[in-house]
Amino acid sequence: MENEKTHKKNIPFFKIILGVALLGFIVLVITGKKTWYSEDAPIEILSDMDNQFKAKPQVGSTFFANRAADQTVIPNTVPRDGVAYPLEKPDFERADSVIGANPLQPTDFVLARGQNRFEALCAPCHNNDGKGNGTVVEKGFQNPPSLLDEHAVGLSDAHLFHIISVGQNIMPGYGDKLNMNDRWTVVHYIRSLQAKR
Amino acid sequence: MFTKEFDTRVKTTVKIILPVAGVVAVLLILGFRNTVTDVGYRPQQPVPFSHKIHAGQLGVKCVYCHTSVETSAHSPVPSTSTCMNCHTLVKSDSPKLKLVRESYETGKPIEWQRIHKLPDYAHFNHSRHIRAQIDCSSCHGKVEEMGVVAQNKPLSMGWCIDCHRNPTEFIIPARPISGIFTGVKAGKYDPNAKATLAQVKALTEPQFGQWETEIPKNEVPGIPVPKHPGYGPENCSSCHH
Repeated sequence: MENEKTHKKNIPFFKIILGVALLGFIVLVITGKKTWYSEDAPIEILSDMDNQFKAKPQVGSTFFANRAADQTVIPNTVPRDGVAYPLEKPDFERADSVIGANPLQPTDFVLARGQNRFEALCAPCHNNDGKGNGTVVEKGFQNPPSLLDEHAVGLSDAHLFHIISVGQNIMPGYGDKLNMNDRWTVVHYIRSLQAKR
Repeated sequence: MFTKEFDTRVKTTVKIILPVAGVVAVLLILGFRNTVTDVGYRPQQPVPFSHKIHAGQLGVKCVYCHTSVETSAHSPVPSTSTCMNCHTLVKSDSPKLKLVRESYETGKPIEWQRIHKLPDYAHFNHSRHIRAQIDCSSCHGKVEEMGVVAQNKPLSMGWCIDCHRNPTEFIIPARPISGIFTGVKAGKYDPNAKATLAQVKALTEPQFGQWETEIPKNEVPGIPVPKHPGYGPENCSSCHH
C-alpha cells in the first residue's frame, strides 16, 4: 500500500503538462487547420518535375537577356489578340470622328457587365453612384467631378470611351484593364446612371 | 548480471524514450503532410502591401488589380503602373513605396514572392473557375482580412478532387468584394446561398463526358459569359495535359 502511494506521488507535474500539450499539438496537426505561419518555403519531399525549365507567366527566365519570361510589347506593334487604340491622350477633339457611335445595344447583359466593371474599376474614385467621393478619395486622391453633372451628360459616347481608354487630367487610362467591348458596356452603364439621376 | 539499480534505470529510460520517440515519429510523418507544410506559408514581400487596407477597408475589388483573371489561366500580379494609378497622389512620398516608385521610373519589375504554387505538371485555369462564379476565397481564403497574405488551403490534388466531386460543400459563390461578373443578376449576393447545381443535380452518376454544364451563348465578343458551376472534371488529362 505504502509503495503505491509513493509511486503516485512520483509522477512529476511538468510531465503531465507536457503530455497534454503534446496531445493538443497532435490533434491540431491531424485536423489540418493552419496553426502557425512560416516564412520558409514549403518543403518538397519529392520535387520530381515540380519546377520545369520553361517560360512561365510572371516568373523570371534565364532565356531572355532581361531575365523576364513576360516580354513587354515592342513599340509600334500590337499583341496577336490585341487591338490598337488609334488615338493619343490629347486627341480629344478627334474622338467623335475616329471612334464613332457605341456599337453595343444596352441589353440587360451589357448593363450588368457595365455595372460590374464600373463598380470594380471606376468606383474606387467615382463611387458606385458616379457622384465621386469614392473610398480612395477619402485617402487623399483628388475628387473627380460627378459623372451625373451637365458636362458629363453633354459628352458624346466617343468622348467617354476616349477618356476611359487613355485617361484625362490625373485619371489614368484603363485601356489595359478594359477591352474595347468592356469600355462600351461601361459607357452604357454611365448613361443608365445619368438617366436615373 | 546487472545490479538492481542499473536495471531499474534502464527500464525507466526505455519507458521515457520509447513514447518520446514515437511522438517525434508521428509528428515527423504528419508534419510533412501538405496541409501543414504549405498552409500558413507567409513570406515577407519586398513591398509591405496590405490587402487588409486596400481590399478590406477601401473596398477595392480583387479584379481591379488582378484584372485578366477572368480571361487567362494565370491570375496576374498587377504591373507597377496599377499601383501608381492612385499612389501618384496618395502617400506619394511614403518610404514603404520607394521600391514601387523606382520600379515605375526604371521599368524594372518588383520581384514579389510567390505564395500559391502548383507543380508545373498541374495546369490550373483561373478563367474557367471565375466563369463558374466560384469566389476567390474558395481557394485563397479571405484575403481582404490578411495584412500579409498567407496560403490558406493546401492546394493538393486531393483537395482539388474533393471539390470537383462535391462542389456544393466547398464552393463559395462570388462575393461583391471579388468583383466577379455574375451575369444579369449582378449585385444580388446571398451569403448563405450554395452554388446552384440545378442542371447537374439530376445526374446522380454522371456519365463520362457529362460533367460539363451547358455553356451559355456568348452574347458580346470579348466579355466572358458566366456559367453555372457544375461537377469538376476528374479526367487526369483535365489538369495534367
